[in-house]
Amino acid sequence: MLIAYSFLAPNFLGFLLITFVPVIFSFVIAFLNWNGGAVNKITFAGWDNFAAIFKNFSFTKSDLGITLRNTTVYTLFTVPLTIVMALFLAMVLNRAARGAKFFRAVFFFPYVASIVAICMCWSYMMMKTGPINQLLALVGIHVGKSWTQTKDLAMWAIVFVGVWRNAGYYMVMYLAGLQSVPGELYEAATVDGANGWQKFWKITLPMLTPTTFFVSIMMVITCFKIYDVVAIMTDGGPGRATKMLVTYIYDLSFFQIKYGLGSAVAMVLLIIVLLVTMVQFRAEKKWVNYM
Amino acid sequence: MKKLLALLLAAMMVIGLAPLALAEDTVLTVVTWDVAANPYLQLTKEAFEASHPGVVIEYIDVSSQDYDAQKPTTMLAGGDTADVFDIKQLPDLQNWIAQDFVVSLDDYIAASGLDVSRYLGMDKCYVDAEGRAFGLPYRSDFWVLYYNKDLFDAAGVAYPASDMTWDEYAELARKMTSGTEGVDKVYGTHYHTWLSDVANWPVADGVYTLIDGNYEPLRYFYNLAQGLEDDGACMTYSDLKASGLHYRAAFEAGNVAMIPMGYWMVAQLITDIKAGTSNLTNFGIVPVPHLEGLPSGSSFGAPTGCAINKNSANKDLAYEFIAWRCGEEGAKVFASAGARPAYVSEAVADALSSVDGFPSDPASKAALLPVVVGLEWPVVANVNEFKTIVNEEHTAIMSRDITVDEGIANMSERVAEVPGK
Repeated sequence: MLIAYSFLAPNFLGFLLITFVPVIFSFVIAFLNWNGGAVNKITFAGWDNFAAIFKNFSFTKSDLGITLRNTTVYTLFTVPLTIVMALFLAMVLNRAARGAKFFRAVFFFPYVASIVAICMCWSYMMMKTGPINQLLALVGIHVGKSWTQTKDLAMWAIVFVGVWRNAGYYMVMYLAGLQSVPGELYEAATVDGANGWQKFWKITLPMLTPTTFFVSIMMVITCFKIYDVVAIMTDGGPGRATKMLVTYIYDLSFFQIKYGLGSAVAMVLLIIVLLVTMVQFRAEKKWVNYM
Repeated sequence: MKKLLALLLAAMMVIGLAPLALAEDTVLTVVTWDVAANPYLQLTKEAFEASHPGVVIEYIDVSSQDYDAQKPTTMLAGGDTADVFDIKQLPDLQNWIAQDFVVSLDDYIAASGLDVSRYLGMDKCYVDAEGRAFGLPYRSDFWVLYYNKDLFDAAGVAYPASDMTWDEYAELARKMTSGTEGVDKVYGTHYHTWLSDVANWPVADGVYTLIDGNYEPLRYFYNLAQGLEDDGACMTYSDLKASGLHYRAAFEAGNVAMIPMGYWMVAQLITDIKAGTSNLTNFGIVPVPHLEGLPSGSSFGAPTGCAINKNSANKDLAYEFIAWRCGEEGAKVFASAGARPAYVSEAVADALSSVDGFPSDPASKAALLPVVVGLEWPVVANVNEFKTIVNEEHTAIMSRDITVDEGIANMSERVAEVPGK
């Protein structure tokens, strides 16, 4: 028993010290007035911080409303697109075709590449006269603006990089899922005269639902936490067009030095992620097949 | 034989220890940014070490982006023991004071007899609400207008005058614009993406501040900048923001005729021209243009200073260093590198204009004497709340997502909701 605990200890202690304790601490700070002053100047705020961030709540005017809307829009588009893309890549690269291993590595690469480097590269490519706009011009679409500097396009630039970066990672999960689908099912379907599409819809997709379930939960959490891509590509702008919940938390906590307000927004984020994940788990029974 | 070996080993150990025993130098660590780009840092280190034997200055070099992104505050909060922290953004010091990270300098200043009146009021940026000093300014930059003499010569246009209104400046910028993009384009002027380069100018009267809640005075400057963009007289904000082009690289490319920028760029330009890394070889400075009714030489700026860490083990020595650095001796060293010290005296002014590489025309020398220097942002505890709002609307206005009218209305509306406003 002791031996088992001692093996668990390094990981558990790490989790306790750098994840669990800060989360609890953040929960406490959300109810305090702490604007960076000395510790003895901290006062109890009750629900004041929450009242302040929900004051004049509106999806078009207040900071919380705008960041909530932006983060939700980002999540609603990035999660399905990433899942479709990851599944598509996995289906194509699951075959033992020549070069499959090479392309698996290629599509996984964005996930391991430095996030700063890839964001800078995409920013350049999405400039007004950059290659993306030039390619679009060839097919008759004239953008004439830098993607990251236009409020209507900045969000799509972020979504695009999000999908592009994550698809390769979740492709690997789908590849593992595909390996576990028993070959006999396909054989039986072939004998029954099913075509490729029917096999995909009736066998592959249902058999992959545990993977899809896992991927969707991971993706939703990742998307609500979006910060890095935004910080590098748009810095939340133009205006507040791509200001996300975490960007807002950062701004409040580390630029305006209002730890209480920042933590209150962090609690809102925590509750949203918790609720969404609970709903997903509730829905699990309805659509996830386990063998 | 064994004895000999033991003796030899013992001798080697003693020799090995010798450097340690001799190395009694006190190391003073100074947290600052972009050491390579700011040659005066190396020069002050050398000059101080030469006049203070036994002291070694060690810089902890942080990139300027990280410095703006609260890296020093994070270090202080983490209990770092570096002795001196340079202050890049004035509100940072107010946070440090509030969090009890830095030492009050009042007793030190009184004991050392430092004449703070020589800072022309800039030392007041480093006091807390009760007027206690927590930092001293070593540099005080203000904004000037740089111009590329070769471009003006080639175009046969007279150099920018020392006394220009903003309208006259815009006219000159259009006159200096020529050529085709990607071939021989010359831009009449250049605006960096900062709020301070585009729209901060109303504060140059020394009265208006960006926390007044009235943003009407900014309208003229947004219209001016966007008009110049539309006429191709400067690069567009959107392109600059997307490409992340540095203002110095833009001016040093040699196809930009004018650029309003902080005085700090003088030292960097001189260094780059000497190193031969710049297409620009011949520049001059004049006071920034001014609004009708204000005197020439109205500008704004902010001091750069330093504070002493409460966790420093060498506070007395740290004060000795910052008093030297912010006093006349240090000021002369700063001036010799082309940087403008906060400490003002005749000797310092002479040192500034006699720097090798400093433009030799009398107008550039005259530009060293501003008459009014407004503060870029007032020093109040919640100034960053205003900054966030004004900067967000600034990005929306300049990327043309909203009109100037909408942006200014948004600024006023959002600032009105700032608590304590």
